[in-house]
Amino acid sequence: MANTGNVTVVAEQLQGDLQAVTFELIGAARMLAKKLGVGVSAYLIGSNIEPIAEKLIHGGADDVYMVNDTQLEEYTTLPYRRAILAILKHIGEPPPIILMGATTIGRDLAPRVAAYLETGLTADCTELDIGDYQHKGKADPLKVGTFNNILYAIRPSFGESLKARILGPWKKPQMATARIGVMEAVPTDSSRKGEIIKVPVSFEEHDFRTKVIETVRDVSKAVNLTEAKVIVSGGFGLGVMEGFETAVKELASVFPDSVIGSSRKAVDAGWIPQAHQVGQTGKTVRPNLYIALGISGAIQHRVGMSNSKTIIAVNKDPDAPIFGFAHYGIVGDLYEVVPLLKKAFLEKFKTKGAGV
Amino acid sequence: MVFIKQVPDTKSKAGVNPDGTIDRARAKRMLNPFDRFALQKAIELKKENGAEVTCVTMGPPKAQEILIDAFDYGADYGILLTDKRLAASDTLATAYALSALAKYVGGVDIMITGLQTTDGDTAQVGPQIAERHNVPQITYCESMKVDNGKVIARRVVEGGHQKLESTLPVLITMANSAAPLAPKRFAEVAAVKEFLHHPEEREKRVKSVNLDDIGADASKAGLVGSPTVVGKTWKLGELGGSCVMYQGRSALDEVNELAEQLQKDDRGIGELING
Ligand SMILES: Cc1cc2nc3c(=O)[nH]c(=O)nc-3n(C[C@H](O)[C@H](O)[C@H](O)COP(=O)(O)OP(=O)(O)OC[C@H]3O[C@@H](n4cnc5c(N)ncnc54)[C@H](O)[C@@H]3O)c2cc1C
Repeated sequence: MANTGNVTVVAEQLQGDLQAVTFELIGAARMLAKKLGVGVSAYLIGSNIEPIAEKLIHGGADDVYMVNDTQLEEYTTLPYRRAILAILKHIGEPPPIILMGATTIGRDLAPRVAAYLETGLTADCTELDIGDYQHKGKADPLKVGTFNNILYAIRPSFGESLKARILGPWKKPQMATARIGVMEAVPTDSSRKGEIIKVPVSFEEHDFRTKVIETVRDVSKAVNLTEAKVIVSGGFGLGVMEGFETAVKELASVFPDSVIGSSRKAVDAGWIPQAHQVGQTGKTVRPNLYIALGISGAIQHRVGMSNSKTIIAVNKDPDAPIFGFAHYGIVGDLYEVVPLLKKAFLEKFKTKGAGV
Repeated sequence: MVFIKQVPDTKSKAGVNPDGTIDRARAKRMLNPFDRFALQKAIELKKENGAEVTCVTMGPPKAQEILIDAFDYGADYGILLTDKRLAASDTLATAYALSALAKYVGGVDIMITGLQTTDGDTAQVGPQIAERHNVPQITYCESMKVDNGKVIARRVVEGGHQKLESTLPVLITMANSAAPLAPKRFAEVAAVKEFLHHPEEREKRVKSVNLDDIGADASKAGLVGSPTVVGKTWKLGELGGSCVMYQGRSALDEVNELAEQLQKDDRGIGELING
């Protein structure tokens, strides 16, 4: 495949705030672009976004295609889909690679665009690379061939303990969504210059068949979940809000550098602010020690904490999914286990100060 | 219409290799756990709005099991799309075949899928069916109702949730944080047993079709219709199955053993406690 066109990142902004995943994707795109000998483009879609276009250049993009329209104030699938198609049409030749974040926006939008373009899409990648591939399949002779400089989209499979490299050399663009917090951004450079291209869009009435009535979002960043060495997290299994005091904070008090985490269900119950939430729609963390109290281990929680060095889970259900990926598990009532655990930790490990 | 899938049962030991990979021929099969939330929503809509619930799936003939099982929960019809040419479909090809099936059935107001499957976990097939039908979609839906010909739904977003309104027809993917599938109801279980014994009735309620029956283009399905392939896989031996479990004894013994093990394994707990 001759590599014309830039490696492309679809930027994600919420109310004019560019999301961290966008810069991570640009970082990954730079690495891919270098191997292909091309540049990096970013697509920026929204309302009132002119002021932030430059930040994408500073973050590593060579140019930005921008669809700026008041009807794009809040994300809904079809108008954003229309905007991407407008940019692709404006450019003419499809780019070699399009990347999006594996967010509730990226995972909503990417498959639609891929289906429209009838091209391949790999979900939730944790590594991206460029390489060659020789297809020998007897069952699909039309696809046989040797392909150079194609996208390697690498993702773990949760059902099995496998990692797979997915390839789609036959169609352009090759598309992938990448998991939040795994790709590395490049340092910001405010002296970088690049072109910002405004692309017009004309919507159709049926693009607005879905309306946002209300969005409730708590984006406070006050809790420093990502830097603490120890996170003690509470889930719906706490049963009552007070559990965060009597169990979670109680156990956390043993560790000087610790913060309180939670599952989404505990946040939804109103027991703790969203800033404490760990997981796909909360924070991605990798502390030295993660203690999960009354958390079942749903996949969206898991993706946010499974890279923790040591995971200890306390759950009364021996079949809880969390025991499938924790390192140590105690089956039991957390309210019975926590005081004993606190005591054992202090007796066994505490060397400084008064101890128990 | 509910789109469901039979997947390998990773909880049962059968067919799960020691390194965590799956021997698909030997594995036990079950309904994709994410689809239970989709089925639940459909059954609720049946009760609230008098909808008819048709479950559709794609897979080998044996996959009919999950359609039959869905009757126990209150589904009305089941259709299996089965065809050798569907093997090795990626998400695009799967969505093509399933959307062709939905068009063949026709008259669908609400299409519901699970969020993702446990054997593919891509979450792509739902939106790709919606694209083929040119209908709006609401993904990550936690709850919804139909009111005045419109769908009102709550959707998960980063840092919170949002309330959306959409016209019909629409495609919904149900989140696994939505209401779980209610237990089977005896009345329905009995009724299922009854119709399974009457070939005519059974034929009306469950059927099996292939790509030609539904007028699908075989070149867009299966291996040949898939724009992606799995180029290489690596085993990640450490994923799963390695949790050291403490259970069945007094909590005090369990906790003390854990603390000793943490010390033996040199997990650095001391440094974390002493700062
Ligand atoms: C798009 C999307 C994004 C999401 N994002 C996130 C996210 O970022 N983070 C997140 O956490 N979730 C997220 N979720 C929700 C996720 O699917 C689960 O619903 C949630 O993680 C469950 O929280 P939980 O484990 O606290 O509750 P449950 O699943 O209800 O589990 C409670 C557990 O506590 C145990 N238990 C009960 N009582 C006791 C006791 N006395 N002692 C010990 N154990 C006890 C039970 O056995 C059970 O395993 C998301 C969902 C979707 C669809």
